[in-house]
Amino acid sequence: MGIPVGMISAIYNFALTTGANRVIRGARIEHVCGDPTLSPEKDYAFGMRIVTTALQTLTIAVPGPTLFDPMAPGKAEEAAHAS
Amino acid sequence: MRLEMGTFPVTDIALGRTTRYDAGRLTVDREAVLAAVRQDPRIATAELEIARPGESVRIWPVRDVIEPRVKVEGPGVCYPGICGRDIATVGKGRTHRLTGMGVVEVSSVNWHDAGGDYVETYLDMSGPYGEMYPYRKLVNLCLVVEPDATLSEEVKNYAVHKAALTVSDQLGEAVRALTPPEREVFELTPVDPALPRVVYIWCVHSPQAMSGSPTAFCTATYGLTQLTPPWYLHPNEILDGALTGPYRTAFAMSWTVANNPLLSDLYRRHGRDWNFLGVISLRTEWTTQTEKQLMANQTAKLAQQLGAQGAVVTWDAGGNEFIEVVRSIQACERLGIKTVFLTSEDDATDGAPTMLEPLPEADAIVSTSFFKNVTLAVPEAPAVARVIGLPTKTVRRGSTVGLHGGADAALPTSGPLPPPWRYDDHYGFNSLSCIE
Repeated sequence: MGIPVGMISAIYNFALTTGANRVIRGARIEHVCGDPTLSPEKDYAFGMRIVTTALQTLTIAVPGPTLFDPMAPGKAEEAAHAS
Repeated sequence: MRLEMGTFPVTDIALGRTTRYDAGRLTVDREAVLAAVRQDPRIATAELEIARPGESVRIWPVRDVIEPRVKVEGPGVCYPGICGRDIATVGKGRTHRLTGMGVVEVSSVNWHDAGGDYVETYLDMSGPYGEMYPYRKLVNLCLVVEPDATLSEEVKNYAVHKAALTVSDQLGEAVRALTPPEREVFELTPVDPALPRVVYIWCVHSPQAMSGSPTAFCTATYGLTQLTPPWYLHPNEILDGALTGPYRTAFAMSWTVANNPLLSDLYRRHGRDWNFLGVISLRTEWTTQTEKQLMANQTAKLAQQLGAQGAVVTWDAGGNEFIEVVRSIQACERLGIKTVFLTSEDDATDGAPTMLEPLPEADAIVSTSFFKNVTLAVPEAPAVARVIGLPTKTVRRGSTVGLHGGADAALPTSGPLPPPWRYDDHYGFNSLSCIE
């Protein structure tokens, strides 16, 4: 039991190998939940997609460290296992 | 590519009327050297001071230590590309160098102003802390230099480093026309095909992601510091300084790169113990998983194309940069290239791994130290009689904070000081050992 945790990370295999259960793929180390090359509106939508995916993962039971990719269309609930 | 290296050992330095070398004694015309430095209008102040091994002297802040090298025959200049120098491909002909000495770049200029990277290194010419660094054994000519305060950080970096290279060039000119007391020829000659083929994968930090600038100052490849795919470098290019300039760690200095003992041994044992194929230089601190894996894949591919059966791997950074380094090792091993990895270890307290991503393929590792002086239990450096550089040093004990990082205290540089937070002997200069 305990409190479910979703970790957003650009270098996601660190999070996976250190045992984080729900790992959400972020953009880059410098801007994990955004992209400064986008317009403000698109940057906001991009960030929202990552954060929303992260929140959704909290409701998903996972057997172990699992990667979620917010940029895979409609795939947030289809977990890709890391190992 | 054949390079003849002429060596002029320096046993002492004195200030005098002309800059000249005579049987180990280097005389430096202070006014002429400083006049050359001040020709650059970006330089506000410049002074020269000498620090000898064993003296009770502390040098702070130490940005770089440079071994004077001058191109005598063949294309290009030594330390090419950096600070606007010629970028002609180096490594051929003849180079003269002054060994046993360093030109020390002493300045308050920080690496960049984006935060996270701070000038931290000070150098003691005596005492237990000084013993941990190879520069303590050198006769050091210190250029204490400050740029025009109105310039940007990047321009300040290039100005003060160019000033130190100007001093190095002035000294190099003194031995250009002389007959070197020692000569050595460096060439990757054809060897017995039965010898194992070995490549050196030399990972160097890029400041691009941390600073936000593709031209931020750092250890440069022909002047370039940006994130680039792996380079193939002939070892002669490195002996001529194609990989040069300091980075924030005390062992990532121009002198240390030019005198890397791993490169020297790989080269000198070429044809006897192995077939040395040269250097693949990998830039690190890519900022997505995909980029890190791509660089690892391409590094291993390049090693395979060169025919490597073995690879020796070093890096000069820490943190997330471990990924592209260790994954390069993994990618090499998966292509059948055996690897050996030289690295410092992370602090193992609180159950953290000593390697950020411990991969089973990285199974031959030489530990060169711990990253942190606190882990090594390095004692406080004692008070000294003389200071070269700034009179105070910003210190927050037990933290990573240096000159620019905010502070609990600005201590007198001459007094007892904690060692900088970081210690990583990237290339195995030291012989620190431990008992388990």
